[in-house]
Amino acid sequence: MKDNTYIPKLAKIIQIKEEVGGARPIKTFRTQFIQDNNFSFKCGQCAMLSVFGKGESMISISSTPLIKDYLQFSILKMGRVTSSLHEMQEGDIIGIRGPYGNGFPMEKWKGKNLIFIGGGIGLAPIWSVLHTALEKKEEYGDSMLIYGARTSKDIVFKQELAELRKKMKVHLSVDVEEPGWEEFIGFVPLNVLEIKPSPKNSVAVTCGPPIMIKFVIQNLKALGFEDEQIYTTVENKMKCGIGKCGRCNIGLHYVCKDGPVYSWAELKNLPQEY
Amino acid sequence: MEKVLDKKSFPQWVKKLSSYTVYAPVQEDEVWNYEVITNPEQVNLDFPNTVLSPKKIIFPQREVYLEFSASNEDGLEVKEVLPEEEPSVIFGVRPCDARALTLTDKVFGGDFEDIYYWKRRNQVALVGLACHTPPSPNCFCLSVDGSPFSKEGLDVLMSDLGSKYFVEAFSKKGEQLINPAKTLFKPPTEKDKKELDKNRTEAKKRISRQIQNIKKIPPKLKGMFDSSLWDEESMSCLRCGICTYLCPTCHCFDINDEIFSSSPLSGKRIRTWDNCQFPDFTMHSSGHNPRQGKASRLRQRIMHKFQYFVERYKNYQCTGCGRCISRCPVGIDIIEVLDKVSSYEG
Repeated sequence: MKDNTYIPKLAKIIQIKEEVGGARPIKTFRTQFIQDNNFSFKCGQCAMLSVFGKGESMISISSTPLIKDYLQFSILKMGRVTSSLHEMQEGDIIGIRGPYGNGFPMEKWKGKNLIFIGGGIGLAPIWSVLHTALEKKEEYGDSMLIYGARTSKDIVFKQELAELRKKMKVHLSVDVEEPGWEEFIGFVPLNVLEIKPSPKNSVAVTCGPPIMIKFVIQNLKALGFEDEQIYTTVENKMKCGIGKCGRCNIGLHYVCKDGPVYSWAELKNLPQEY
Repeated sequence: MEKVLDKKSFPQWVKKLSSYTVYAPVQEDEVWNYEVITNPEQVNLDFPNTVLSPKKIIFPQREVYLEFSASNEDGLEVKEVLPEEEPSVIFGVRPCDARALTLTDKVFGGDFEDIYYWKRRNQVALVGLACHTPPSPNCFCLSVDGSPFSKEGLDVLMSDLGSKYFVEAFSKKGEQLINPAKTLFKPPTEKDKKELDKNRTEAKKRISRQIQNIKKIPPKLKGMFDSSLWDEESMSCLRCGICTYLCPTCHCFDINDEIFSSSPLSGKRIRTWDNCQFPDFTMHSSGHNPRQGKASRLRQRIMHKFQYFVERYKNYQCTGCGRCISRCPVGIDIIEVLDKVSSYEG
């Protein structure tokens, strides 16, 4: 009999950073396993986080697998478990099981330009793959990030984005006009049309709210991207993480196991149940 | 192994199985369900079918996964809680319900083996009871690749021959059940075998309900995601979920924490059956729900059983027990729904 995947491994929260305040707060947590174990993951995979006594929540891993010291999760306060996480302090213990899901097919992307397009907390899953590609710069073409949030206050990884500008093109946007904002004003899909990334030898990776993804894909298609060049991630309610509890399916697919990463070529043929 | 057993000797057989936990159908409040048997004389195989299938013994409606408690060292201690080692035998399993376990086996097996399910599954022997007459007027096993005397998933199959049972063992587990009571069993005569054949031919004829053109349904469903049929057929649904709670093949579950004490923290993580007919089954914590209306949930039940499962595992996720039809308070009938799928145009 194989390992019991339902039993989480204990991990300590070693750092908490407040990314966004206000009504839709986001915090970034760094965690370290208390005991050594063989947790290894691919970019785009998720982990099931436990707050004991509250329950579990599936969260994408935002750190790169190249960093072995800690796992990082950027979490929007939303339900029971994420709200509890937001109340936790450095040094507190959580449970982690996984990793789950398919991850991004980065092997297939070698030699290609990578265009990352994110909205809001959707930068979290991108963050892992973006930094991995950056560390292995010689294996990929030019990378670019197009990212937007409701307001400048809702932008995650602010300091890191400033650093990132030294290494790749970063195009930011906010949804509505605000004093002092010098970059694009408008929704992310419109910024995509403004920047016009070239589909030539490129792969576009987009994560964010479903409505944003829908129009980003529409606009990428207008720019000449083929379905196979567009990748996104899907979110659904999950409990088990291994395709058994039955709730995260879109058609035949269990998002927890067969997803969350899909090319548009795959996703467009699945029913819209997400 | 083929044997016959005098009906009068049946309690003797059960007595010989003292090293097993024995389950059999027991009637209480006018309904039958599997219970642990303490007195072998109690076992009565003269029952239609149980309300809950034997799935509940292998995949209980509620089970503890783990316990957690605050400790001094690392702050928290997590203890895995596994099912007990307990060889068991279930008598009176209807062939449809045994076949259903071969389907849940597929779900709980695969890339990630579900240790809780398999701990119980591996130590339980299933003794079937062939359906001489259909236990329910809504039986339709013949439509979904089953039969009233299917041996799929069973270790032993008993068939009623009036004063005796024809007993067939198909597995090592099955033979191990018969071995301790060897002297009670006799080899079948030619007459017994003939009678068995005759019974089986008749049993098939007695099943009156069937799904039309079942083979065409999976490909047909593929194009029916946006069909108005789901609205029409789900109109009367009360979202009670009885159809899936009683289904021997349904496997959806929820995982939740229950606490005994919040300070110092102690509690347990439990899994309970869940139900795709409940609105919050798929509801995100944001409030967004991919299956907002009951039409989308009836569609999920039908498509899961007759399209997705077929594509993934090459079987219908239905064994024709008819429970969902008989127990639906508003008369939603899966055979009628599937027949409408068959004849649907547009």
